[in-house]
Amino acid sequence: MSNEKELILEAKHVTRKFPASNNRTLVACNDVNLKLYKGRTLGLVGESGCGKSTFMRFLVSLDTPTEGEILYRGKDITKLKGEELRQNRQNIQMVFQDPGGSFNPKMKIRDIICEPLLNFKRIKPSEKDATARKFLEMVDLPGDFADRYPHNMSGGQRQRVAIARAIALEPEIIVMDEATCALDVSVQKTIIELIVGLQKKKNISIGFIAHDLGLIQSFAHEIAVMYLGNIVEVLPGADIEKNAKHPYTQALLGAVFDINMDFSKKIESIDSEAPSPLDVPVGCPFQDRCDRCMEICRKERPILKQLEEGHEVACHLYRKD
Amino acid sequence: MLLEIKDVTISYKGVPTVQNFNLTMEQGQICSLVGESGSGKTTVIRAVLGLLAGGGKVTKGDILFEGKSLLTNTKEQWRNLRGSDISMIFQDSGAMMNPTKKVGAAFVEYIRTHEKISKADAWKKGVTMLERMRLPNGDHIMRSYPFQLSGGMRQRVGIAMGMTYSPKLLLADEPTSALDVTTQAQIVRQMMELRDEFGTSIIMVTHNLGVAAYMSDYIVVMKQGKIEDEGSRDVILHNTESAYTKTLLDAVPSLGGVRYVE
Repeated sequence: MSNEKELILEAKHVTRKFPASNNRTLVACNDVNLKLYKGRTLGLVGESGCGKSTFMRFLVSLDTPTEGEILYRGKDITKLKGEELRQNRQNIQMVFQDPGGSFNPKMKIRDIICEPLLNFKRIKPSEKDATARKFLEMVDLPGDFADRYPHNMSGGQRQRVAIARAIALEPEIIVMDEATCALDVSVQKTIIELIVGLQKKKNISIGFIAHDLGLIQSFAHEIAVMYLGNIVEVLPGADIEKNAKHPYTQALLGAVFDINMDFSKKIESIDSEAPSPLDVPVGCPFQDRCDRCMEICRKERPILKQLEEGHEVACHLYRKD
Repeated sequence: MLLEIKDVTISYKGVPTVQNFNLTMEQGQICSLVGESGSGKTTVIRAVLGLLAGGGKVTKGDILFEGKSLLTNTKEQWRNLRGSDISMIFQDSGAMMNPTKKVGAAFVEYIRTHEKISKADAWKKGVTMLERMRLPNGDHIMRSYPFQLSGGMRQRVGIAMGMTYSPKLLLADEPTSALDVTTQAQIVRQMMELRDEFGTSIIMVTHNLGVAAYMSDYIVVMKQGKIEDEGSRDVILHNTESAYTKTLLDAVPSLGGVRYVE
């Protein structure tokens, strides 16, 4: 199976620094290397402020990295400008966390879904109604919703419209920034089922940001765990529960509330909060919250090492020397 | 019997939103109200504290706290009750605080409306409470504005404020929904400790059945303003007959659970 994977996007040594007060710099992404394959889902997991959204924004060209390159089909998209950049936006679309905030409240659903198509002259204005209906039905909404305004819909319905807008241009990649986290648990499930169904039908690659490992493991092929701007572990989604190696991944797993868990056991989670990204310690970024911290962790930053096919971890515990 | 909600119907502008709601709670019990958005969970706990928004009214039934009806309370009686016998924490404690006031100023004001105490003593009391809620360096937090704190820290400040007078009943409205999974686990653990430490009863409103199951002795499932299903944790998780409860349980993402892709 692994040799069938077709690489379509690759981030190489992506670093993003933001200037901060008192001449400090905030490193939001530090030497991130990730790969996205055709028709597969990459889940990016981490706590708030770890840089996962910053990274995904590069993919949709909403921001550019300070260093490094992002190759989409062999072409560096961070250097694109003007018309070329505009044309490239058709290939990579995005669904935001808050479906209420990502629509113009004065536009009808029909106009919202068709705007990207009109921008790229894929349809004529006279075809708007039929197109909107087609896409609404694709996301399991009644076609009559085309006449509604976003405020006349529930959060789950709005998120479906956001997905319809994202797939309208038939992109190869869709980036979803916590697309289900503002929704009820039961609605969240139906949205995930919709996304997975569309992915299978259209062979779309998805970059999905989440902070809930329980959710992401249900549909991600690969999971990357990010901590303070660093990728600490990349592993196949199927066996995250058994194979998670990095202490941080294990801590995230320990924090998942599961209805099948043993309730007499105290929930295990790290007590402290992540340090400010402005003063990341020298050495391993996770050292102060890690209960297996060693001397070397204070001095040297671990780099990603391959443990087995598709499983990489950045931790001194797993060094092979 | 600490709290008795008897056959309560709550209406907003004449339209009944919650109908025939019953719940009894003992001292030290933790109970969760679960259900989707708009099922009336928050309305119920707001009614207990007399804080119904937008002209909401209890039109039928009675709410008894330690045997006394809450519905006939005067403003003065409410003032004595709120924050001392019954407290509430909200989804985002940062939004409940005045953004132009430092945490310390708000905390001192809160303490001084409940007891006659000098500002300096109130400050000390606030710092002690913050440190008991695992916020080291309480003095520093008292000198910060709410927006300077992280979501988890703000939620701890909210809990510290709510617990200052060791209330008998704590109402929690989605206290962890806006937080990271790791922070959520910390806050949940901390709320469980409140019961051991202060003997507080807690009513949790949440849409996360995983959290509800972990915390509560008793779970009430609500749907469209009515009780759909209720029972002890084991009954709800393993022996329920309600199809709705089963769909909700089914939707909770679970490690090693359903996988949609190979």
